Amino acid sequence: MRDGVRGHRMDHQDGAGVTITVMVVDDHPIWREGVARDLTERGIHVVATAPDADAAVRIAVATRPQVVLMDLFLGATSGVQAIAGILAKLPATRILVLSASGEHTDVLDAVKAGAIGYLVKSAGADELLAAVRRTAEGIAVFTPGLAGLVLGEFRRIAGTPAAGPTPALTERETEVLRLVAKGLTARRIGERLAVSHRTVESHVQNTLRKLQLANRVQLVRYALEQGWADEWADD
Amino acid sequence: MTVSSVAVLERPLEALWRGLLIYRFLTLVSAVAVILYLLEDYATQVGAILVVAVMCGWTAVTGYGYFGGLPGARDLRGRLALADLAVTVAIMATTPLVQTAAQVGADAPVMGSVWTSGPVLALALAGGVRGGLAGALVVSAALLLVQARPERELGDVQLLFLAGLTVGFAATVLLRSAERLRRAVASQAAMAERDRLARAVHDGVLQVLGYLRRRGAELGGDAGELGRLAGDQEFALRGLLVTGPAPVDVHGRHDLAAGLRALGSPRVTVSAPAHAVYLPAHAVDELVAVVAAALANVAVHVGVDAPAWVLLEDLGTGVEISVRDEGPGIPAGRLADAAAQGRLGVTRSIRGRVLDLGGEIRCETGSGGTEWIIRTERA
Repeated sequence: MRDGVRGHRMDHQDGAGVTITVMVVDDHPIWREGVARDLTERGIHVVATAPDADAAVRIAVATRPQVVLMDLFLGATSGVQAIAGILAKLPATRILVLSASGEHTDVLDAVKAGAIGYLVKSAGADELLAAVRRTAEGIAVFTPGLAGLVLGEFRRIAGTPAAGPTPALTERETEVLRLVAKGLTARRIGERLAVSHRTVESHVQNTLRKLQLANRVQLVRYALEQGWADEWADD
Repeated sequence: MTVSSVAVLERPLEALWRGLLIYRFLTLVSAVAVILYLLEDYATQVGAILVVAVMCGWTAVTGYGYFGGLPGARDLRGRLALADLAVTVAIMATTPLVQTAAQVGADAPVMGSVWTSGPVLALALAGGVRGGLAGALVVSAALLLVQARPERELGDVQLLFLAGLTVGFAATVLLRSAERLRRAVASQAAMAERDRLARAVHDGVLQVLGYLRRRGAELGGDAGELGRLAGDQEFALRGLLVTGPAPVDVHGRHDLAAGLRALGSPRVTVSAPAHAVYLPAHAVDELVAVVAAALANVAVHVGVDAPAWVLLEDLGTGVEISVRDEGPGIPAGRLADAAAQGRLGVTRSIRGRVLDLGGEIRCETGSGGTEWIIRTERA
């Protein structure tokens, strides 16, 4: 995918190569069009836009974008719903949440549903472009706010008595996440911990993967507690 | 709201009126049975039968009337209850005419007997406590007048007043609480609608402000300044609108996460768990004040636009808060010098407050910036 980005840069020069394809989901026309325009101006191929969750799933299936930029507040529908819907049909899609609201539970739910990054809407166009590129590469886009949410969620999971093993963070992952939440960049965290920033990024990514796993474990455990497993066994 | 619950709100006494119908019917059966059983004793059997016929007919008429008629029809039950009272007294007044002197002397039940309590209840439903008492007064007076030995009727009189009073009181209370409930439901509906509109409008406003901030930053110059102002407003409005967990739990403890988030701004990033972090209200106020003081310190010593990061972690047994900036750091000894010169700013507002809460505070400073780490245990 790194090549994809490089290819795109060449694409500007010779009109050939692989471009990142993006779908913008936002109920607000100003943003939808504004974000789409900013990305297009910077060489990203915006293949589609959608105003709500249902349209997002339908159009994503038809256009198969690499990256979906997802607002969380979609009028009557929710972005979390759309994320789950899109990933159920197209699991390889990378979803970057772009949200104006500070609805932190929504952000956490979006990440649990499979989004791999989060950016506030007021981020500048270049920051957005960088985030889209990273997302296309499968690198998690973390804000300090998101790191704080993920950290809090793991502490909460650790604090609730569980009937069995739940994915937990390693000490190193917790350390990295705390530094991200305190506003340090991957490069500075790398310097501080004497590792490469790539290693830092992979730690961060692991935390997201574990959170999604923990979410699934919790769902399965819940199902077992409810006795659904017996029903499955009977079938 | 379901249709039936709306009906209960609109006509809260309907169930009691239905109950009255059943009561009236049962008392009619009982009264008529007594008259028919003792028919041979009466001075005039035709008269007794006539009284029974009038009672049955009148019970049917009032039954229809008390049932409430068609929905939306004028409520005439108050007047009907008055007419009921008159007819009942008339029935009672036939006692000396229909019964023999021996019967009256032997304290035979008055004509209508227990059936005569009906209008008392009807008046109580229609007119509340006052209606019930007035009805009880009239029926009791009639009872005492037609009976040979009034002192024997005192028990019945007591029961009549008690019934009028209780049913009247119940009716008044029901009407009042239905009225209150109706008002509450109406205001709740109005609030919900306002919330819905506010969400839509505010989301739009947030989006536009956010967009202004973003475009302003790109354009720079005066537009950048406008964008920055828009960004400040966006943060302020967002803080008001966030619908997280309740900021206060059932024990009156406050949510520290919500308190700290309120300190967020375009330059201050606040990170906290998604769930509420409840602590005693006083501790929350103090910790928020401490963080605000630390952030003010950043603005003074690093720069008004210097970015800062706040991280709140819920460790279960306690909480840890970090306030970090990327300024030049605090030179060694400066805090001590400031305190020695009588400028207690940081020392008093940050350290003092944390220590008063029984917490710990430490400061890590260097060329990479300054980080205050505050830790308090849960009691």
